[in-house]
Amino acid sequence: MLSDITIGQYYKADSFVHRLDARSKIILTTLFLVIIFMCKNFLSLALMFVLLVVSVLACKVPVKMFLKSVKPIIPIVIFTAVINVIYATGGTELVSFWKISITTKGLATAFFMAVRIICLIISSSILTYTTVPTALTDGIEKLFSPLKVLHVDVHTLAMMMTLALRFIPTLIEEINRITNAQKARGADFESGKLLERVKAMIPILIPLFVSAFNRAYELAFAMSCRCYRGGEGRTRMKQPKMRVGDYMMLLLFAVIIAGVILLNHFFGKIV
Amino acid sequence: MDNYIEFKDVSFAYENSEAAETSAVIKRLNLTIKKGDFVAVLGHNGCGKSTLAKLCNAIEIPQSGKVYVDGIDTSDEDRLFDIRQKVGMVFQNPDNQIVATIVEDDVAFGPENLGVEPAEIRRRVDEALRRVSMYDFRFSEPHKLSGGQKQRVAIAGIIAMKPECILLDEPTAMLDPKGRQEVMDTVKMLNRDYGITVVFITHYMDEAVKANRVLVMDDGAVILDGNPKQVFSHHDVLKRVGLDIPEASQLASRLRKDGLKIKKDILDVDELFEEIVGILEDKS
Repeated sequence: MLSDITIGQYYKADSFVHRLDARSKIILTTLFLVIIFMCKNFLSLALMFVLLVVSVLACKVPVKMFLKSVKPIIPIVIFTAVINVIYATGGTELVSFWKISITTKGLATAFFMAVRIICLIISSSILTYTTVPTALTDGIEKLFSPLKVLHVDVHTLAMMMTLALRFIPTLIEEINRITNAQKARGADFESGKLLERVKAMIPILIPLFVSAFNRAYELAFAMSCRCYRGGEGRTRMKQPKMRVGDYMMLLLFAVIIAGVILLNHFFGKIV
Repeated sequence: MDNYIEFKDVSFAYENSEAAETSAVIKRLNLTIKKGDFVAVLGHNGCGKSTLAKLCNAIEIPQSGKVYVDGIDTSDEDRLFDIRQKVGMVFQNPDNQIVATIVEDDVAFGPENLGVEPAEIRRRVDEALRRVSMYDFRFSEPHKLSGGQKQRVAIAGIIAMKPECILLDEPTAMLDPKGRQEVMDTVKMLNRDYGITVVFITHYMDEAVKANRVLVMDDGAVILDGNPKQVFSHHDVLKRVGLDIPEASQLASRLRKDGLKIKKDILDVDELFEEIVGILEDKS
């Protein structure tokens, strides 16, 4: 179950998307998320969906990988859709029973919500599949560096993210090891009611936390032995560069934003 | 050879230690380690051998006495990062010292902290990875490597900082025999070909045998000091502090007790084999 976690999973390939600068990919993904929520009718939503499909194909990552990242959130999608169907008001009434009435507006909102969530997951997957985690955190550090003026320690935050990403696989391995050790001692994780199963997790969580703290302590030692002293005076081996492709993509997205606004304006608003 | 690390009458105790009187981990230690030497430090758990390493690169500062690294006093806080650049340290658990998610980024971590120019870091990283034969894995994710490979990456991360000395605190304790061999070969090569001073803490006798100088520690003091042949001839002392004697050496001493004329300072199997063959030839 845990090996399904896809956060920060990088998929090695040589594509146009992979070669884009991490900073522009972060900006583009954020823009995409904003635009997808700006879409008010089917035409603008279709435009965004086409853009997403083209991006998925362009990054040369197997489509299967994207489906895998969408799979765990399907229950959430269905849940939000149902809630939207029930609670939305307006439009023509189609069916009505008890206190619930299903309207065209409700169905449209539900559909939009579902598509938006799926697009949200897929677009952020594009970012993580095509960007090396360190490049990603470096990008975040660079993008947020103006916040230094406000005394936000951007470097430390980025370093924490890097370390968190680095230790995800290590800790998953550890969980598996502890689980097996507890099973060997007769622990039962598979049967019983929900509460019993949750209780059965405690003997896994406690050793996990203890070991995580020990690791953190040793890691801090190792880092200070390698002369780590925060962001000051630190240089980077890889100097990210914005290339023509990056500027072209930013320009393209600006055009698409304009397109969405125009489509919203001329073809009416459904939601 | 010049003295590189110098302990002058050093005593050290961990603070907040419960048993106050007996908490001195290092007791009035005097020791010099020469530049370019390969020193193995042996001792059972809690004898102070890890603390010895921590004193060498200013992680711990002695309460009394002084430790000098290349002439710099380790209690001089202004020179802290100079000392740590000169004396790199490799720890037991390779997982807990790898910082980045890609091998080459991890090796770059040290030089980046030192503020080295990007192009120079690139050069150093490639060179360090080639030296430990991990260049082909430079784009790999550390958690997909074997223990021995991870430990070599950790060593590369240290040598990219261009240290003059490397301290290794039981670097092979968590590795399988193949991984141990890889790490040992790498460290030997760095010492032989690049003149890096090595302080190798271990509890494996067969690794200590390969050093130029062996220190045996017990209860915060060095009780044996000399080349492997000298040290491993003190069977009684080694047994008393709970250390094993290399197997070949053990067999040799038993054969000698039974009246065979075998040399006293045998350390490895090949040597013992030659000796026995020699005796058999004499008889026939």
